[in-house]
Amino acid sequence: MSNRPVPHAKLAAEFLKDEPHRHFHDERLWDMRQKRDEQMQIMPEWQALREQASRLKEHTLAHLPQYLEQFEENARRNGIHVHWARDGAEHNRIVETILKDHGHSSIIKSKSMITDECEMREYLEPKGISVTETDLGERIQQLDNQLPSHVVVPAVQKLTTDVAKTFAKYYHTDPDIDDPHALAEAQRNAARPVLLSGDTGMTGGNFLVAETGSFVVCTNEGNADLSANLPDLHIATLGIERLVPRMADLGVFIRLLSRSALGSPITQYTTHFRKPKKGGEMHVILVDNGRSERLGMDDFWTSLKCIRCGACMNTCPVYRRSGGQSYGSVYSGPIGAIIDPTFNARKFSTLPFASTMNGSCTNVCPVKIDIHDQLYKWRRVLAERHEIPFVKREIMKMAGRLLAQPTMYRLAISGTEVALKTMPRFVLYNYLNPWGRHRELPHPVKETFHSWYKKNRLNKAGAQHEETQA
Amino acid sequence: MSEETMMSARDVIMQRLRAKKSPQEGAYPLPPVVTLGDQDASPERFEASLALMGGKMLPLQEDEEIEQAIRRVFPEMRNLCTAVLEVKGTLRIEELETHEQADKVDVMVVRAAFGVAETGGIFLSEVELKDHLADVHLAQHLIVLLSKDELVGNMHNAYQERPEFRTAGYGVLMSGPSATADIQGVLIRGAQGVRSLSVIWA
Repeated sequence: MSNRPVPHAKLAAEFLKDEPHRHFHDERLWDMRQKRDEQMQIMPEWQALREQASRLKEHTLAHLPQYLEQFEENARRNGIHVHWARDGAEHNRIVETILKDHGHSSIIKSKSMITDECEMREYLEPKGISVTETDLGERIQQLDNQLPSHVVVPAVQKLTTDVAKTFAKYYHTDPDIDDPHALAEAQRNAARPVLLSGDTGMTGGNFLVAETGSFVVCTNEGNADLSANLPDLHIATLGIERLVPRMADLGVFIRLLSRSALGSPITQYTTHFRKPKKGGEMHVILVDNGRSERLGMDDFWTSLKCIRCGACMNTCPVYRRSGGQSYGSVYSGPIGAIIDPTFNARKFSTLPFASTMNGSCTNVCPVKIDIHDQLYKWRRVLAERHEIPFVKREIMKMAGRLLAQPTMYRLAISGTEVALKTMPRFVLYNYLNPWGRHRELPHPVKETFHSWYKKNRLNKAGAQHEETQA
Repeated sequence: MSEETMMSARDVIMQRLRAKKSPQEGAYPLPPVVTLGDQDASPERFEASLALMGGKMLPLQEDEEIEQAIRRVFPEMRNLCTAVLEVKGTLRIEELETHEQADKVDVMVVRAAFGVAETGGIFLSEVELKDHLADVHLAQHLIVLLSKDELVGNMHNAYQERPEFRTAGYGVLMSGPSATADIQGVLIRGAQGVRSLSVIWA
């Protein structure tokens, strides 16, 4: 994995070049956000649900060892093999070993971000183990050899015409199909024989239930239920933070998840696995991969509350106008920007700056993660660790000194007003001002608020104050 | 060799988690179980939710048997596979010997253990499916028999009241047919699993 900082702004600019893609992406995600709002508005208990979800997750994270032990004990009692992986590499070796022990070589897989995080396909495929993604969006991304663009809709950055070209190459369909129905049908027809012949099924999972040793998979296409149940071997990979204490707690999360994600009351399939099927074998791999370290970070541990609904992505103006590919990571958007730096602070040092700080991500988050506060805190951490580029760093330092001193600030503002009025464009719009690349600087104002206040209100306010005192 | 390399992955992870300073256990007590929102468990609410999720109701006509109604809706059907006693069909689910056979099933009939009014969801486990877990998803269309007496209001009620979540090895709540919106946001009913899901009150 390259360690160079992801050039987010540059990649976003590439994505924005094509108007139809830019327009669709923005509209589609905003539509998901609006559908989420409609669901929220018809449920008076929405805020109480968010509060409960947040408290349950915080409690579970604070007591993680105890609940992990409880889950493991109950799952083992139900006949599930439980494995532990410190990192992605260990996870991939465990999967490889399970397959080798069975003489298996083909995995049919439903969507799971965590196996992407572990780079499992990249590890297994050179070893002669085929991995076929069966979720439509994830399959499109696999065929195009790209990371998922979005945690819920992995190929949201593509248009029908893009998918038609990809399918033509691999499924030999007409490259000019412009009907999504025909393409979805092509995927169904291509997936069936693979599903029927796969020897190992793999899924991720949305929740682990400590009380019963079960895990829950929420999907819409039905591919997870096929992938898990067709072969006699089912392997599920989940992060250690996925726990909830009690079966009864699921109600809170299931009611929030799909409403926050897509604005639908629930996913088409909400599947609960508690035991291997008759004659089958079931393995659960619990993955740490940096999570235990993140849990110890005062400012950032609550990011582990995330249930991967993608609501923060749909609402984020920067994400909607830059596309998931520009984040260079499995997790993109605001949530990606606060968890990716825990995997690699240098590589993902640009991402916490991909935000306007409008706070909308925090407001829509169903588990109340203070995402925009964490974005801000990451900027500070990265600046302290010298992970931000020279120009940005120096300008921030200058701005910091200026903003800390009211007299200097006012002097500079009046200077700026003169500059904006009189300076030639090449002085105002240059490489020191990337902000001005796509925007016009504000028009200079005739009078600042401060000078207006001084002239009109200061004496009167003083007089008023004295009157009240008397 | 460092201490960590000698230990099992499980012990290392547990040790890391126990060593953490934040979040402190005492600061985050377990909140009590909640039951929030509308708990209306009426068939009307179920029907409205099912429609929203893309499922259909299949009302029986006067003096019509269930099997007649299915044949009326799917006149071109060749293989009708049944997991219920009320419908004879062309073969029983227990008779499916291979998944390839199930792949050729046009219509599958099952009885749900219960339904959820909030989401139009119906619950199926290995008990209702006679251990044919994948075969139900391979069929092209699904008919679900559901009793009006087996409805819960919302998802809180479901998890608190229904014993199946603690007894079933495999339990799926299906709300409508399989669906996807992965290509340019166009909603398509009938992605990889069943193309349609219809409920009959029975």
